[in-house]
Amino acid sequence: MASLGSSSSSGTEYIVRVPKNTTKKYNIMAFNAGDKVACSTWTQARMERDMSARRIYGEEETAEGAAGSEFGKKQREEARRKKFGIVTKEFKVEDQPWILKVNGKAGKRFKGIKKGGVTENASYYIFTQCPDGAFEAFPVHGWYNFMPVAKHRTLTAEEAEEEWGRRNKVVNHFSIMLQRRLREQERGEDDEDEGEKGGKKKKKGGGRGGDLRIHDLEDDLEMSSDDSHSSGGEDGESKPKAKKDAGKGKGKKKKKKGSEHEALEDSDDGDYEGLEVDYMSDDSSSEEEPEKGKPAKADEHPKGIDELSESEEESEEEKQNEEETKEEEEEDDGKKTPVQPEKKKKKDSSGESESSDDSDIEGETASALFMKKRTPPKRGGGRGSAGSSRTGSRPGTPSIDSGSTSSTLRAAASKLEQGKRQSGSATDTPAAKRLKMEPNSQSPAPSGKSTPQPASGKSTPSSSDVQLTEEAVRRYLIRKPMTTKDLLKKFQTKRTGLSNEQTVNVLAQILKRLNPERKNVNDKMHFYLTE
Amino acid sequence: MSDKGEVNLTGVKQSKGVWLVKVPKYLSQQWEKASEKGEVGRITIVKKQGKSEVSFKLNADLTGLDAQGEKDASLHVPRDHPFTMHTVGGQTLAVFSHSDKDEISLEGMVVQRAECRPVVNDNYMKLKKLQIKESTKPQRLSQQLERAVTTVFKPVANHNFNMEYEKKKKSEGKMVRAERQVVLDMLFSAFEKHQYYNIKDLVEITKQPVTYLKEIMREIGTYNSKGAHKSTWELKSEYRHYQSADEEEMQT
Repeated sequence: MASLGSSSSSGTEYIVRVPKNTTKKYNIMAFNAGDKVACSTWTQARMERDMSARRIYGEEETAEGAAGSEFGKKQREEARRKKFGIVTKEFKVEDQPWILKVNGKAGKRFKGIKKGGVTENASYYIFTQCPDGAFEAFPVHGWYNFMPVAKHRTLTAEEAEEEWGRRNKVVNHFSIMLQRRLREQERGEDDEDEGEKGGKKKKKGGGRGGDLRIHDLEDDLEMSSDDSHSSGGEDGESKPKAKKDAGKGKGKKKKKKGSEHEALEDSDDGDYEGLEVDYMSDDSSSEEEPEKGKPAKADEHPKGIDELSESEEESEEEKQNEEETKEEEEEDDGKKTPVQPEKKKKKDSSGESESSDDSDIEGETASALFMKKRTPPKRGGGRGSAGSSRTGSRPGTPSIDSGSTSSTLRAAASKLEQGKRQSGSATDTPAAKRLKMEPNSQSPAPSGKSTPQPASGKSTPSSSDVQLTEEAVRRYLIRKPMTTKDLLKKFQTKRTGLSNEQTVNVLAQILKRLNPERKNVNDKMHFYLTE
Repeated sequence: MSDKGEVNLTGVKQSKGVWLVKVPKYLSQQWEKASEKGEVGRITIVKKQGKSEVSFKLNADLTGLDAQGEKDASLHVPRDHPFTMHTVGGQTLAVFSHSDKDEISLEGMVVQRAECRPVVNDNYMKLKKLQIKESTKPQRLSQQLERAVTTVFKPVANHNFNMEYEKKKKSEGKMVRAERQVVLDMLFSAFEKHQYYNIKDLVEITKQPVTYLKEIMREIGTYNSKGAHKSTWELKSEYRHYQSADEEEMQT
């Protein structure tokens, strides 16, 4: 036995034994090298079979005996199956996957799936060295590939597809899971009485807008086994909360970062279309307004003359609604913050901050980013007030047009018609609603004052592309009928370098000169020219 | 049991390293024939030029094929098997054992992988040829019969069927109506076992003529023409007091 030195080369010889006792069956547990599993560091491990497939493969246990059973049901079922040639796979316990839990609740989890075909053509043996120097060889009965199981929430296939469709627009990817979680919470609150298993049950309960949700049955069934291990429910519940907190933190950071970025980002053409403006106060908007609102362009309602005359609160609220609607419609914003308190905080701070515009915009965009939870009630209100919609000229653009706005619009328009320019502009300005404005340095006139522009139609030159000229307006009106709002939208203050009032005035003058024809479409006055 | 599923980690804690060796089928078959003591051969580890060469030599008494254990069998299993060593690169392999009593223990980590190869010589080639012949034999076989099968005829009426019919007629005749109370007892005891019955099954159980039975059933039960239990009879609600399965389980 032991080691015999052979003469030619330094070799040692060991006896190989294949023990006959078969009480223990040896299996291989294979991990991926990338997972960096160090078994020696495990303090505690539990492993059991994953029986979740039994429900699928096992026969449906109808009540046997007494209540609900039929005489001879089993035989009949069997005969039926044979007749149709249905072959059901048996549920073999040996072939079921393993579930390995390392280091208790907080540790990792692995799922070990049996690899087939291992013992078909060659046998694997485990050679261990015994204290006496001999080798013992044990045959390997099965090979299981263990893979780590994700504990974090994942999207279902449908949701994943949706998000994939939006991948070019979504910037803040953290928000995707947050939104999902919040949605689930909503739903979870609704069907709370339907028996829960913590947060995970909510995941099961209905998809976005749909009751049918396709998901991994295994996960759900795994839950039930977890529950039996106590604290499973707690786990599920604590997880969404924990994640939510984590998400909040992330969201906050991201939001702040986002606002910084926004301040620096350069705008693209069309980005400002329909951007909402805060009409909070008369303070000059010294800083450049952040671009947060930008992403949801198409949905934003155009700032029109009406908005100028609206009161602050109204516009505030409206904007909030719009923001929220925008959020609904297009989430290209991507910078979503989930937190309600934060929104409120922002709103409060917005009032206080010196640059009311900025803060208000922030507040609004914040509202844009917020949870749908808040949106439904408000949105309803917002939409209700919206009333009219654009005549298909801008797809997906809700135009929020409260009664007051339309009346003021018409009032303004009629005033313009009558040539009461001065009075018209006077009434427009006091509310001091502002369109998006360029830095103060560039705006020629302080807000609150109306400075009639020269009637030449050439506005103060600016660094941007669009000039508020008669030609431009003519072009637009020839092409298609537009409302004053539309026109204003075309001539963003940032581009033309004019203030809101100036734009309005100039536009009014131009319209007066052009004297376009009018028609009423969807209760809105459209101007158009035919040439 | 609280310990069920608990994995015994002693093997891994001691960092026991094991080898995973791939062994050809014929060799493992020979090993199974080993004696009680279990010794099947010897391993020789030689260090040549810095590399270790491992070789396995099968015991002489196990070389004979065909379980006769005799060396005089025409073909021998080769004896010398050098091992090809590999490293355990892309996978972390651990070994766990699973006993009949569901005791799981982690035996150790795999530190080396090896393949057991035979030395290729004529003997081995012959062995392989034999194996190939075996495996290429088709599992199903067409066989020509010499004489036609004459045991299966096409009868005018099924002979067996006839016999059964006659027998039935003889033994039972027309089913006799038993006392109403007796029948009721039979029915109630039957319905204690199952909730839904087909009329045919009831006839078989009670051995009563159909009309009589139907009459009684109409009195104590209802007929389900639709629903899950298609055309079955069940007792009327006042006659039954089934406990649900859950309650029963709880009670037992």
